Amino acid sequence: MAAQKPDLLQGTLDLLILKALAAGPLHGWAIAKRIQQMSRDVLVATQGSLYPALYRLEDRGWVSGSEAQSAEGRRIKVYRLTAAGRRQLAAEIAAWRAFSDAVNFAIVSTI
Amino acid sequence: MESLHRLGRRLRILVRRDVVERAMRAELEHHIACEIAEHVRRGLPPAEARRRALVDFGGVESIMEQGRDARGTRLVEDLLADVRYAARILRRSPALAAAGILTFALGIGAASAIFSVAYGVLFRPLPYARPDRLVVVWERNVPKNRDRNVVSIENVEAWQAKAKSFDALTVVTPTSFTLAGGASPERVIGAEISPDYFRTLGVAPALGRDFDSDDAHAGLAIILSDALWKRRFGGDPAVLGRSLTMSGRSYTVVGVMPAAFDPPRFGWLGEQQAWFPFVTTPQKRSWGRFLLVVGRLRSQVSVEQAGAEMAAIAAQMEKAWAANTGWSVTVAPLAGEITRQARPTLLVLLGAVVLLLAMAVTNVATLMLSSLRRRGMELAVRRAIGATDGRLFRQLFVQSALVAIAGTAVGLASAPMVVRLLVAGLPPGTPRSAAIHVDAPVLLVTIAVAAIATLLFGSVAALRGGSAAPLVPAVKPEGDARATARSGGVALVASEIALALALGVLAMLMVRTLAGLESVDLGFDPGGVSIARVALPGDRYGSPVSQIAFFDRLLEQVRAIPGVRTAGLISTRPFGGLGPATTVADTDDAAAGGSRDLVADVRFGDAGVFDALRVPLLAGALFDRADGPGGPIRAVVSADLARALWPGRSAVGRRVSLAMFDGITPEIVGVVGQVHLMDARTPAGPAVYLSASRFPDTVRDLVVRADGDPESIVPLLRSAVAAIDGSLPLYSLTTLPQLVETSLASDRFTMMLLSAFGIASLTLAGVGVFGVFAEDVSRRRREIGIRLALGARHSQVVAQILARALRRAAVGVAIGAALALGFARAMSAVLFGVTPTDTASFASVAAIVLAIALVATLIPAVQAVRRAPLSALREGG
Repeated sequence: MAAQKPDLLQGTLDLLILKALAAGPLHGWAIAKRIQQMSRDVLVATQGSLYPALYRLEDRGWVSGSEAQSAEGRRIKVYRLTAAGRRQLAAEIAAWRAFSDAVNFAIVSTI
Repeated sequence: MESLHRLGRRLRILVRRDVVERAMRAELEHHIACEIAEHVRRGLPPAEARRRALVDFGGVESIMEQGRDARGTRLVEDLLADVRYAARILRRSPALAAAGILTFALGIGAASAIFSVAYGVLFRPLPYARPDRLVVVWERNVPKNRDRNVVSIENVEAWQAKAKSFDALTVVTPTSFTLAGGASPERVIGAEISPDYFRTLGVAPALGRDFDSDDAHAGLAIILSDALWKRRFGGDPAVLGRSLTMSGRSYTVVGVMPAAFDPPRFGWLGEQQAWFPFVTTPQKRSWGRFLLVVGRLRSQVSVEQAGAEMAAIAAQMEKAWAANTGWSVTVAPLAGEITRQARPTLLVLLGAVVLLLAMAVTNVATLMLSSLRRRGMELAVRRAIGATDGRLFRQLFVQSALVAIAGTAVGLASAPMVVRLLVAGLPPGTPRSAAIHVDAPVLLVTIAVAAIATLLFGSVAALRGGSAAPLVPAVKPEGDARATARSGGVALVASEIALALALGVLAMLMVRTLAGLESVDLGFDPGGVSIARVALPGDRYGSPVSQIAFFDRLLEQVRAIPGVRTAGLISTRPFGGLGPATTVADTDDAAAGGSRDLVADVRFGDAGVFDALRVPLLAGALFDRADGPGGPIRAVVSADLARALWPGRSAVGRRVSLAMFDGITPEIVGVVGQVHLMDARTPAGPAVYLSASRFPDTVRDLVVRADGDPESIVPLLRSAVAAIDGSLPLYSLTTLPQLVETSLASDRFTMMLLSAFGIASLTLAGVGVFGVFAEDVSRRRREIGIRLALGARHSQVVAQILARALRRAAVGVAIGAALALGFARAMSAVLFGVTPTDTASFASVAAIVLAIALVATLIPAVQAVRRAPLSALREGG
């Protein structure tokens, strides 16, 4: 399943995670699902890249993890966006727009 | 700010690592659980849902590994793992750990202590403002090659007028007064200073005011040292403005210096308890050269530039004034002048302690290596299952570093105590001992040195230990002799022997130096002699007659003390510092324009002093009653002076011409033996003794020979003086054996420390060599077993092992001898009666070192051949 999906571009995972958390705190699996939904089932964050990315974002101070209880009463880790993370998200969105516009121009270019 | 937060987050992860790890695992498991639930919702049977979720997820462990990489604490976590691992290894062999830590601590402790002393005395900036701008200006006698001579008033005044290199040129000269009043009169040692002397140093009184130019005219002001103020006046601030009677004149206290003020001591400036304004009087102008000059260089002017300007000025003055013929100027930094005497000794000790530290480090490296070799199998296995060179290196290095850090901590913790012991044992008169303490600069340098040492020996141990663990030993557990050679055994043994030999030789040279100094024939017999100084106040004892009368009565009283055999007077006691010296010539020769003149020490004494000191009368007679004021001027001379001026002929009855008191020509009445007037090291030079009663003075040393303990005579001398004049202090009380001992204190200090270093390094060498060879022999047990089984005799095998050891030791001895020679040359200023190439010292220490190496090899060798050859084969198989 996941193998048929296009690979995430380098660096876009951070943007997607931040965007997924913009609507509210989520735990790890829910972030993966949210990314999948948001991209209309096109993009899938594999566990192997999701969790290291979460830890990296946590180390940078853009997301912060805290203990919470799941519906079944399990102790789970819930991530939320920090103020710095919100700023970073805005910056990454702007960067991504500039980047994708540029790529689009390049594609339609007739030169 | 942000990076600070990040550091905090990382620290929290490191501190709660177990919690973080568990949370990470729980999180991944939760993910799988959610995935399973999702599959079940979509209608998969639970077993299939679980299988699919697990397959999709992949390896939990590998994700956790990536997770650990991502959280930014990887490096530290690995390091902590290495530290835990190394700590476990060290705990498993506590003897090894303790030996390593203590050896390293010995090296670091000794190095930091000696460095504290050397730094405090030699390198710490002087406690004055901009101390690097302060210089001492000396006159330099070119023909006599004396580059440090005191200065005359005329010359310093001319310099002050002409020189542009200085913000200020100030004078200082030692002085002493009798302070009357209080429970007992007291001799106060101090200095006369230019009014701007303290301002030039950049120090100021803590209480009251500094001298001003008015004081320089009247001269009747005094600034007290903190110590004198507290001792004599109970620290009472009301002392300001009080009038003190000093040697019969009245001085007003204007200030008290701070407790921390340590006045510069150089030249003949010693302890200072009080300061007086220097007043230029016609009398002082007639004294010639007697002043010390301290200057502050103008900013941007270097010592060399100032020296060049002063040399030019001196050249002009040489032409202008006959008194300056042959005189130039030396400008030298004040710091160097203060520490000139102590410098060679401290540099020798600093060098020696570096050797000792190297020795300790080599020893720890040896220990570490031998422990690594015992772990050869383990290391090989770890390499085989994929540990990289870098990882292995880091683990081994961390182990050495742990030992080093613990050793440094122990060494530094003991440093303050060792420093206190050292300072307590410092030879008297060591400059700036107040500046010796363990503080930030000392700690930083020590830690830097420890870090360098750790890098060196840790790298050696890790590289050698790592490379000694190739893949092969897993198959063939015991290495061969070449492996030992490769893994640094030879180099370590050679360096241990070399360092031990070098330190041993330095110690031996110093032992022989002290023995040489102690065996010097001083020319007098110090046993049973006590000495005290008497100073008569000029107001009541102004006339020569009253001075002579007092000293006559004093001698009479002293000689009446039971147990006193003889007593006499002299101007400056032997071993009592510099006295006057003058040019001496045969009068006939001088009249004929000859140049057979020489410089002789001059002392004023009576007949009794020769008796009390047991200086032999070789020809003629000593002074008698005829030598009084206005009487004929007569002299007693030393044997070598008589020999130099009248070789092969009698000196008695001849006349010499002395260039003092504007030229006098005393008749020689007697010739006495040579006396070491300065100390044992300074040769007993020519001396002229003039009669103390022909040239009466207010200050004399009373020299008393008594039966029994010289200490017990001291209170009796005090009461003898008090019986004549209760207002007179008796000071500088000591015994001659004590004076002689004090003069050797610096050399004895050096000798003791170097001996301690030498013994420590020989012990370390013995232990280290034993360790390497015990290791070596045990690795070759199989080979030894085979040879014994094939019929080799025990003695042959032992001899072979010894021969190998000796070959390595010989390399060490050769290197050590070269090292020792270099150091010995550098310390030649400290040596006496022994050359830096002294064969006996080198040979005896080499013999000791080789003997230690032999014993250290013999023990494991004999143990090895004693084991039954078959058991060795079995163990080896």
